[in-house]
Amino acid sequence: MDKFRMLFQHFQSSSESVMNGICLLLAVVTVKLYSSFDFNCPCLARYNALYGLGLLLAPPLALFLCGLLANRQSVVMVEEWRRPAGHRRKDPGIIRYMCSSVLQRALAAPLVWILLALLDGKCFVCAFSNSVDPEKFLDFANMTPSQAIGWSVTLLLIIAAFLARCLRPCFDQTGFLQRRYWSNYVDLEQKLFDETCCEHARDFAHRCVLHFFASMQSELQARGLHRDNACRSPEPPAVPEPPEVLDSGSEKAHLRAISSREQMDHLLSTWYSRKPPLDLAASPGLCGGGLSHRAPTFALGTRLSQHTDV
Amino acid sequence: TMDKFRMIFQFLQSNQESFMNGICGIMALASAQMYSAFDFNCPCLPGYNAAYSAGILLAPPLVLFLLGLVMNNNVSMLAEEWKRPPGRRAKDPAVLRYMFCSMAQRALIAPVVWVAVTLLDGKCFLCAFCTAVPVTALGNGSLAPGLPAPELARLLARVPCPEIYDGDWLLAREVAVRYLRCISQALGWSFVLLTTLLAFVVRSVRPCFTQVAFLKSKYWSHYIDIERKLFDETCTEHAKAFAKVCIQQFFEAMNHDLELGHTHGTLAMAPASAAAPTPPDGAEEEREKLRGITDQGTMNRLLTSWHKCKPPLQLGREEPLLMGNGWAGGGPRPPRKEVATYFSKV
Repeated sequence: MDKFRMLFQHFQSSSESVMNGICLLLAVVTVKLYSSFDFNCPCLARYNALYGLGLLLAPPLALFLCGLLANRQSVVMVEEWRRPAGHRRKDPGIIRYMCSSVLQRALAAPLVWILLALLDGKCFVCAFSNSVDPEKFLDFANMTPSQAIGWSVTLLLIIAAFLARCLRPCFDQTGFLQRRYWSNYVDLEQKLFDETCCEHARDFAHRCVLHFFASMQSELQARGLHRDNACRSPEPPAVPEPPEVLDSGSEKAHLRAISSREQMDHLLSTWYSRKPPLDLAASPGLCGGGLSHRAPTFALGTRLSQHTDV
Repeated sequence: TMDKFRMIFQFLQSNQESFMNGICGIMALASAQMYSAFDFNCPCLPGYNAAYSAGILLAPPLVLFLLGLVMNNNVSMLAEEWKRPPGRRAKDPAVLRYMFCSMAQRALIAPVVWVAVTLLDGKCFLCAFCTAVPVTALGNGSLAPGLPAPELARLLARVPCPEIYDGDWLLAREVAVRYLRCISQALGWSFVLLTTLLAFVVRSVRPCFTQVAFLKSKYWSHYIDIERKLFDETCTEHAKAFAKVCIQQFFEAMNHDLELGHTHGTLAMAPASAAAPTPPDGAEEEREKLRGITDQGTMNRLLTSWHKCKPPLQLGREEPLLMGNGWAGGGPRPPRKEVATYFSKV
């Protein structure tokens, strides 16, 4: 149970490692895909170049899009970019940070494919076989330029990544730390909101079903009283009671005083259109209309008051 | 154990993204594996080639799509929500659309992978279009016009089958095979690119336009799913309690009958009332669980009413079920006070 909780917390807190894992998985899939793909140079005049270059460029593009699709943070980034400002102003630095982290991870699989294709050499040979002088044709000579390019690109990338990692602290480290923190925060907040909604839906459904049974019960009892006949059940008919509550305290907390469809819809549209400020110390005060008078029952929510009385 | 289940439930729900990705990955792998295990067998006859290839390209994806829908538990939920009478709860078409879209998306993965793998492999395309190869450009163009068309078709239809191909004088088999496979692979990669682009556009563009509607639909579709499960759970609980009480009453009655039988002959001082020797401790608890629904007719009415007239999404209302009229969605009283009085009676 504890192990489970720890695992749960781990996934909750380090979405970065989850994303790295997905990135790695996609790279492995790319290698498998390349090795199982049956290269089939057409050996015809115009088709060779098209085929060779197409195979070098189209799959990486598809893999790049897959990398963007598999990464949850890309959706979070677009949501953060397009949301109305509400009570929380938008920071373009955070959006840029998220964008760059998403792009970096999405570029891994395409680069793997391109490097594999270059190191393998078949693409190159197929694409440029037309432009080779047949007299100077040597199998060896044809493979080498491709492999040379492949190895140099690999080396360049590794050096670039190394430099980027080492030199980054020299430039704007504090800004970087802030942006990393807040982009992580945005991601976690979205996850927790979804989780809270699910929890709430569960409790709402529970109350609804119990309420349904109780209505049936009280209706029966009302009819029993009307007809005034001997009751079939052994105990005397009781006054219509509210349904038995298994766990009233925690359920009430879970419901957070939202108990109708209109209120829930309003809550969801407010979450989108007016995100609460990043200020937990602000007293939950009055806000024009909406859920203001229920604000104190929110465990997590905060509302910007017209005049801060902290 | 309730806590543990709640935790698992929360974990799956909160990591639904990774969960769904995992399911998609598994289905893609299964589809690719199925293709590689399948033994493609081109008939190499003029009329049959195209039909066979079209069948292989189109029928399994359809079957996989339907299978994907069938295996999804939520299909019955969608159908139920779609066909139920409105009752006291209006139906929201946006929720239905959301549920259908999310199910269809997951069910489309395996068919797309099948089509992509089929095209990238090339055998199917080769089989279908071998009779359409440009012989004049690829082979001995001078000899082609001399052949009557059916003869040419018969010859070319055998290209996919190396053991019976006898047209090397006209067109080298390897040339035709390479040509067609190259086109097939190009089509395959274009298809893959197109579908990933489409998926990407749909996913990225959605937050720009319909985010609020999306949040609502997502919430209410979860709600409907959970509510259905909880209703089933509550009914099972009720059925258990019903069965227990029924059996207890039966034993009590039997006991009472036996005692009556004994007191006929002797002057036993057994009480005349139908007191069971020792009522089990849990008897009262079980009776309470029945919530006053103690006979078949009432239970049937309850179940009918649940389907025909779903209760409104409004807690804290005391209107009896069958006496309310219309959508009870008028001006809500402040629910906080309602909830307070609700719980204070317990």
